[in-house]
Amino acid sequence: MLRKQSLTEIINWLKNTNDINLNIKHWETIPSKQASTVPIPERLHPNLKQALINRGITSLYSHQKTAFEFGIASQDFTAVTPTASGKTLCYNLPVLQSIIENPDARALYMFPTKALSNDQKSELNELIEEAEVNINSYTYDGDTPANIRQKIRKAGHIVITNPDMLHSGILPHHTKWVSLFENLKYVIIDELHIYRGVFGSHTANVLRRLKRICQFYGSDPVFICTSATIANPQQLAETLTGNKMRLIDKNGAPSGKKHFVFYNPPIVNKSLNVRKSASLEVRRLAGEFLKNKIQTIVFARSRVRVEIILTYLQELVKGKIGPKAIRGYRGGYLPTERREIEKGLREGEIYGVVSTNALELGVDIGQLQVCIMTGYPGTIASAWQQAGRAGRRHGEALIMYVASSSPLDQYVISHPEYFFKQSPEVARINPDNLIILVDHVKCAAYELPFEKGETFGGIDMEDILEYLIDQKVLVFSGKKYHWMNDSFPAHNISLRSASQENVVIIDQSDIANVKVIGEMDTFSALTLLHDEAIYLHQGTQFQVEKLDWEEKKAFVREVQVDYYTDANLAVQLKVLEVDKERNTRQATIQYGDVAVQAMATIFKKIKFETHENIGSGPIHLPEQILHTTATWISLQQEFAEIGEERLEDGLMGVTHAMKNIVPMFVMSDPSDVHVVPQVKSSHNNKPTIFLYDRYPGGVGLSDEIYEKIEQILTESKNIINNCHCEYGCPSCIGTDVTTKTGKKDALLLLDYFIHASKHTEMKA
Amino acid sequence: MKIKNKLKVYESYLNNESKDLTVQVSPPVKQLEIPNLEQWQMRGVQPYILGDEYCLVKERRYPLLEKRGMYSFQDYIRAIEAWQHTDFQHPLSAKGYKPTDLFFFDTETTGLGGGVGNTIFLIGYAYVEGEEVVVRQHLLPEPGFEIPLYDSFLRSVDYTTLVTYNGKAFDWPQVKTRHTLIREHVPKLPAFGHFDLLHAARRLWKNELESVKLSIVEEEILGIERTDDVPGYLAPIIYFDFIETKHLDGIVKVMEHNEDDILSLLILYTHISFQLLGLDQQQSKSEMLSVGHWYSSINETNKAIQILEDALENHDGKDKWKGMLELSYQYKKLKKIDQAFACWQQIIEKGMGKIKIEACIEAAKYFEHHEKNYLLALNSAKQAFTEFKKIEQMTGISIPKQEAEIKKRLLRLEKKVDDC
Repeated sequence: MLRKQSLTEIINWLKNTNDINLNIKHWETIPSKQASTVPIPERLHPNLKQALINRGITSLYSHQKTAFEFGIASQDFTAVTPTASGKTLCYNLPVLQSIIENPDARALYMFPTKALSNDQKSELNELIEEAEVNINSYTYDGDTPANIRQKIRKAGHIVITNPDMLHSGILPHHTKWVSLFENLKYVIIDELHIYRGVFGSHTANVLRRLKRICQFYGSDPVFICTSATIANPQQLAETLTGNKMRLIDKNGAPSGKKHFVFYNPPIVNKSLNVRKSASLEVRRLAGEFLKNKIQTIVFARSRVRVEIILTYLQELVKGKIGPKAIRGYRGGYLPTERREIEKGLREGEIYGVVSTNALELGVDIGQLQVCIMTGYPGTIASAWQQAGRAGRRHGEALIMYVASSSPLDQYVISHPEYFFKQSPEVARINPDNLIILVDHVKCAAYELPFEKGETFGGIDMEDILEYLIDQKVLVFSGKKYHWMNDSFPAHNISLRSASQENVVIIDQSDIANVKVIGEMDTFSALTLLHDEAIYLHQGTQFQVEKLDWEEKKAFVREVQVDYYTDANLAVQLKVLEVDKERNTRQATIQYGDVAVQAMATIFKKIKFETHENIGSGPIHLPEQILHTTATWISLQQEFAEIGEERLEDGLMGVTHAMKNIVPMFVMSDPSDVHVVPQVKSSHNNKPTIFLYDRYPGGVGLSDEIYEKIEQILTESKNIINNCHCEYGCPSCIGTDVTTKTGKKDALLLLDYFIHASKHTEMKA
Repeated sequence: MKIKNKLKVYESYLNNESKDLTVQVSPPVKQLEIPNLEQWQMRGVQPYILGDEYCLVKERRYPLLEKRGMYSFQDYIRAIEAWQHTDFQHPLSAKGYKPTDLFFFDTETTGLGGGVGNTIFLIGYAYVEGEEVVVRQHLLPEPGFEIPLYDSFLRSVDYTTLVTYNGKAFDWPQVKTRHTLIREHVPKLPAFGHFDLLHAARRLWKNELESVKLSIVEEEILGIERTDDVPGYLAPIIYFDFIETKHLDGIVKVMEHNEDDILSLLILYTHISFQLLGLDQQQSKSEMLSVGHWYSSINETNKAIQILEDALENHDGKDKWKGMLELSYQYKKLKKIDQAFACWQQIIEKGMGKIKIEACIEAAKYFEHHEKNYLLALNSAKQAFTEFKKIEQMTGISIPKQEAEIKKRLLRLEKKVDDC
């Protein structure tokens, strides 16, 4: 190949190369879309109008105008805004207009990460400068220098922050922010869809605290949210903010032509139904794009996967483009490293980036031409977000979905309509999760005493306040509950994970220059940072020499080996209380609280490329106990005729299929819901499958599973039924099943389960 | 599951605060009934009642002649008097003030650090009235009774300047915070001047003391010994116990501790004034040098020169050369370049280290710009470089920026020498 090929040529190459086009299962071309525009509204201040014109904006998209009208009319609203649809004007215009009309008015912008705050501040300040109006906007986060903090508190019209800073840096010090809280007119919540699960549940409580403080100072701000495409933006925004919302979901922005290619790697072992590794296929495809200097983003599901693909690609294009031109990007890298990568992408010095979903967020990395998803990202919303990274507003873009052998991936690749036609997932939060709620009630009590009879997010507080009196943190006096403790509660509460304590990863390859290279939450560390684990960071392999569990430190050293490690987690379950129940003659479906005991047991060493098991070792880490909510389904049947061993394998097969299908029905990461089979459950001695929330107390996922169990079972059956293998394979019932009857028994059990649940449906 | 039961199951996940406190719910006050009132009154404490709430106010008076460590309160009057005869500016200057204008202020709180939930439960202050020092303390008897607390406090203060120890960063902002919560029900916070003695203590004794905590300054510098003192960090726990049991014993100790702190502030201000005004016969040369440095940092050049000259006379401490360098800069500022040069020469001859490098550079500048003697200038710069390398070898720490600067100077001077 002598000259670089263009994207169009590459697309033709895909179509015309035999061993590639055979694997393409679906090619969907989404035509470009014309813009729907309206004139700039009369009401808009002439300076703002001029500023827009100076930036080449002579008309607004229809949704931007609606947003402006709602915002000016003090109407809470949520706008659904795909990538590159000009969402920032949806909130910037009403906010700036209001501040020009009333210079006392204030606005609070909340972005989920600091990086996004910085992007937005630059954009907002450019607009303000262009409009030549006297409006101060500042970011206020952990990086804000102490000497300008006071000025921001007093004189910042627009304060840009993140939920963590609001939680521990602003609300507990609200008396220093009197001018903000007295005049707070707007609260902007960007990237609404990110606030789901634990993080969303925490943030909803932070907003309850914010509203409580606003009420104290006599303000009642309007909430404006913008969201990527999810099934329930309006409901999510209403649960998160506690306010009624109008919805703007007609988007007027144009978009370029998009090629959506579904690529299924060829089968390499017919009897086992094993396909060629998705990572290896991605290596070949991405390598081709990168050699032609076509900017490409590769998404992978896990941190480990990111590092493996990165290693492949750096090796492959070595010498053609510099090693710095292809980078990894994921949580666990330090912020400075991330900023450098973002900049490199925007300015075109970096051609390729391999990322986890960390780059789904609106971090500005400019327009890339190609996006490759290694495996299905887990949710439709997430897939569209990732796809949006390629070809932002104009021009052609190529999006490739490369399936792995996993049942979910195989299901999606054979049902493109699921992806293109179905509505995306529901984002769930549970602000009333008791653990989260109590944490924030403490913070709220620290901020302002609770009055007798006061509610919080509509919940009666008496039991919780009494509990906190017993815990010696509150004192009831003069009709109020007063904070009476020498601690600062917000410091003990992290919004992002169950426990605030992370394991710090320390590289001691160079004794003279020992440095921290990343961190990881404790639960992940059980299986990823145990002694002898291979930890990958920016494509470099490290071996964990020692995990100091007490001190939460993992000491690693650089190594070069041809394998990675994979750890097993043994789990025990105990039902504490049943809250909901549906009964039939065949089965019982229940929902309630459980205690899960988890212990990392052994790890395996898996060879790159062939993925064969080349060794193993024990893991010695303390057992972790998790209290959470779960849904479980038990069969009344005895199954004596198939014997315990076959029953066990059958259940294991069902579990494997369910584990893979669940994320499609509840918007979650595959790791957020765990599925565990028990031949004789300790709860009722029946064959039972448990599905539980990974977060203590649950964030509503198992609740949703309880409602949708019928669909989940039916789709699990479809997966196994439609699989071409004979006796079960990794795509359907997994590899832990050893008997030849596994597949048949799994289907038999599923029939019982489905029959059971159908029955209950009729009864209900 | 009911919330009560759930709380039990999930107890281990709830971030529980420290449990070693023994606070219980106190029943709401129905009618104004003041627990242990007689005992309070026996100790000179009176209730301040506002509607159906109250706070407790204690007042105690001391004659001016009473001694405390090496001073008596009378010396405070002398210090204020002495400030009146000064002709320079100083951040702690009481020029134009009467002894009755200052009030010495300290609080006790339920926690550490800033944050709305950190409640002030004791406000104490001292001031001079006639021939007496008056100490007044306002105690919060119930968490909800902050309105009478601040009302009683704000209606009895009428002074121009607040004197505190770390009050700029902590006590006063915390008063503002708690006041904000009830601002509609109590008088406005007046604007005060503010002398924060922590900054002064840092300037004067940072190098001598292991820490400039008030208790240490008090003992090491002021010669005040406390008996039976409750350490400040126990104050929150004792207070929590008090609101539960209403027993006086513990909280009275905290009030004594607070009173001691406030009275020590008065003595400390007196001592610092004596230091600044040269009235302390016991003043060490090192203290004098620190005072000199302080004056030079606030551009009171003449005063700085006077004190530094005095301090350096017959002084042979390790801080001598640093003081002399400071003195040289003061001379330079007044264009007394020859006197400055004399200082540099002395330092170059007998001193060493960073100070010597600075003196060499200054000498080099002097030769280059003033004497136009490039060869001598070059020699001085070379001396600076030799000293720099010496330090680098000794400490193993390299400072590339400084090295580059010196090298640049050397190059320039070499060129000038060559050009001549």
